[in-house]
Amino acid sequence: MDEQTRELPQKYHQAVVHWQQHNFPDYPALVESWDRFFPKDPPFCLCARIGQVASDVVEYGDRKGQPKATKPTDMDERAAKELFNTVKAQASTEFGSIQQHQGTLARAYDDQDRAWVLRVMAEELRHGYQMVHLITNEDWSAVSGEKADDTVEHILSSQTGSHYFAAFNLEFDSFLDNIMFAAFIDRVGKYQLTMQKVSAYRPYAESMPPMLREEAFHLAAGVMPLRRWVERAAKGDPLVTMAAMQKAANKWFSRGLEMFGFEKEPFSSAQVNLGLKDRTNADAQQQWIDECAQMLGDLSRRYVRARLPGNTPEEIDAIQQRLAAGETVEGIAPEEMLRLPDRRFFRRSFDGAYEMVGIGGETFADVDAYVAHLAGHLPEAYLASRDMRHYIDNLRKVVAGAMTVKQAVKNTPKLQRLGSTCPCSNSVRWVMDTGATSVGEESRLHP
Amino acid sequence: MAEPRVRPLTELDVEAVCRIDERITGRYRPEVWEQRIAYYIRRDPDSSQVAEVDGRVVGFMLGEVRGGEFGLDEPTGWVEFFGVDPSAREKGIGRGLIEALLRHFKENGAHVARTMVAARDKDIAAFVSAMGFTQAPVTALEKRL
Repeated sequence: MDEQTRELPQKYHQAVVHWQQHNFPDYPALVESWDRFFPKDPPFCLCARIGQVASDVVEYGDRKGQPKATKPTDMDERAAKELFNTVKAQASTEFGSIQQHQGTLARAYDDQDRAWVLRVMAEELRHGYQMVHLITNEDWSAVSGEKADDTVEHILSSQTGSHYFAAFNLEFDSFLDNIMFAAFIDRVGKYQLTMQKVSAYRPYAESMPPMLREEAFHLAAGVMPLRRWVERAAKGDPLVTMAAMQKAANKWFSRGLEMFGFEKEPFSSAQVNLGLKDRTNADAQQQWIDECAQMLGDLSRRYVRARLPGNTPEEIDAIQQRLAAGETVEGIAPEEMLRLPDRRFFRRSFDGAYEMVGIGGETFADVDAYVAHLAGHLPEAYLASRDMRHYIDNLRKVVAGAMTVKQAVKNTPKLQRLGSTCPCSNSVRWVMDTGATSVGEESRLHP
Repeated sequence: MAEPRVRPLTELDVEAVCRIDERITGRYRPEVWEQRIAYYIRRDPDSSQVAEVDGRVVGFMLGEVRGGEFGLDEPTGWVEFFGVDPSAREKGIGRGLIEALLRHFKENGAHVARTMVAARDKDIAAFVSAMGFTQAPVTALEKRL
C-alpha cells in the first residue's frame, strides 16, 4: 500500500487547526483515549494522504484513453469547473459533519460509542484538509475565478445552515442522529468517493483510496451501535425504541437521496461523460438505496432474534416474512420492523420535491394533513426546528401557487458569517440566499 | 452453483457472518462479531474478505498485516477467523478467500502469512496445509489460570 503524506503550507494548516479549535473542541479527548479504544493503530495524522490510481488514463467519458490531468488547466474547461465545485462541496460535507456531530457528542450512550464518533470526526477533519490541499496545491483561478485564499476562507466559514447539501444543514437532535447519520449519510460519501476513484483529474483520484479506507470505519461506527441499540429496544429498554429509530431513519433517508444530484438524464450521466465518475447519479443512488434497505432489514432481524431468542435462523426467516406481509407474530407488530420510506417522502429537491408523498407512497392534497403525517413520522425534536418551519412555509406557498417548486428549492435559509471567517466574531445571522442556482454558485454575502 | 465472488468485508456482512458462525457452532453471537468486524474494518477494510454465491455470503475470512507479535518483528499476514457455510463446502470457497487475503498481505509488505489451528480441528488443519502452510518454527504454549 504505497501512500504518501503531505502537510499544507503553514497558513492553511494553521487555518484548519484554528477551525478545529472552535468547531471540534473535543479533539484532544480523542488523542487521550486513542490507545484505550484503538490500541496499536497508527496515531491520527492531520495531513493529506496521496494514494495510488488504478489507471494513468481517463477511464470514462469523452476523453477516455487520454492521460489523466495533473493540473486543472489540463482539463476540459467544463470538467474543471464541475470538479472545482465538487471539491468545494466535498469539503463542505467534511467540515459540516464535524459541526453536526459536535453538538450531541457528549450524549453518547457509552465511552466506546463516543470514541468511535470522535475518530469519525477527526477523519472527516482530515478529509476536509485533503480537499483544502487539492484546492491550494494547484492554481485553480483560471477555472474558478477565485483566489485559493478566498475559497478556503469560504469553506472554513460555513456553518450548519450554510453548507451545500441540506443533509449538512440539520442540527442533530440526539446521539441517535450521530449514528444514524454515519449509517445513512456517510454511506452516500462512500458512493461519491468510490465513483470518483476514476476521476480524470489524477490528484483527486489519488485522494480517494485513503479516504475510502477511513470511510469504511465510519459506516461501521453507525451500523454497529445501531445493532446494539435495536437489541436494547428488543429487551424493553424504555429509552430506546424502534419507533424512534424509524423516525430518525426517515429524517436522513430523504436528505441522503438528494445528495446524489439529479436522477434524470442528461444530468444523471453528466459527470460520467466528463470522466469524473464511473456511474450515473441514478445508478449510484439505487445501489445506495439497496444497501440502506439491507441495513434496515438486518437491524430488524437483530431485533426479532433478540425478542425471540429460542428460534433458529430458518424460523426467524419465516417470522420476518410474515411480519413483512403485515402479520403480528408472537407479539411483534409489523410496525416494529424498520423500513425505508417511499423515495418521494419529504423531498425538497430533485425527483419528488414538494410533492406531498407519504411514508408508504400515498399522496396528499391538503397541506395540513401532510404536515400532520410528517409530524407522525419524523423525530419529535426535529419538528420544532427552523428547517421544518421553512420547509412547511415553502410547501404552503407551492401548493397555493404563490411559488414554483424551482423557487422553493432555491428558497432555503442560509446561515452566513459576515465580516470574518473566525467564529470568535459574532457576525452571524440568518439570511435568505435567493441567488443560489447550483452547487458552487451561491452569492457571497460577506465582503 | 454459480462461481463464488470474493470481495472485501463490509459492515453490512455482520448478519451473514453471524449466520455462518451459528451454522457451524450452533451459537448466535452478534455482539462478538460486531466487535470483531468493526476491528478489522477499522484496521484495514481491504484485508478481510467474504465470498458470495448468487448474492449470498457463504464464507468469510478475517485477518490483517501486523508486525511485532510474539517477537516476530517482520510484517506478518495473520489469518485469524474464517468460516464457510456447511452447505457451500468443497466448492473452492476457502481457497478463494485465502488467496485473496494472501494477495493483499503481499501487496501490503508481508512476506509471510501465519495462523494457528487448534489440535482438535483436523479439518481446518488439513485445509491450511492444502493451502501451503507448513509447521512454523514457533511453539504455541499455554498455562491454565
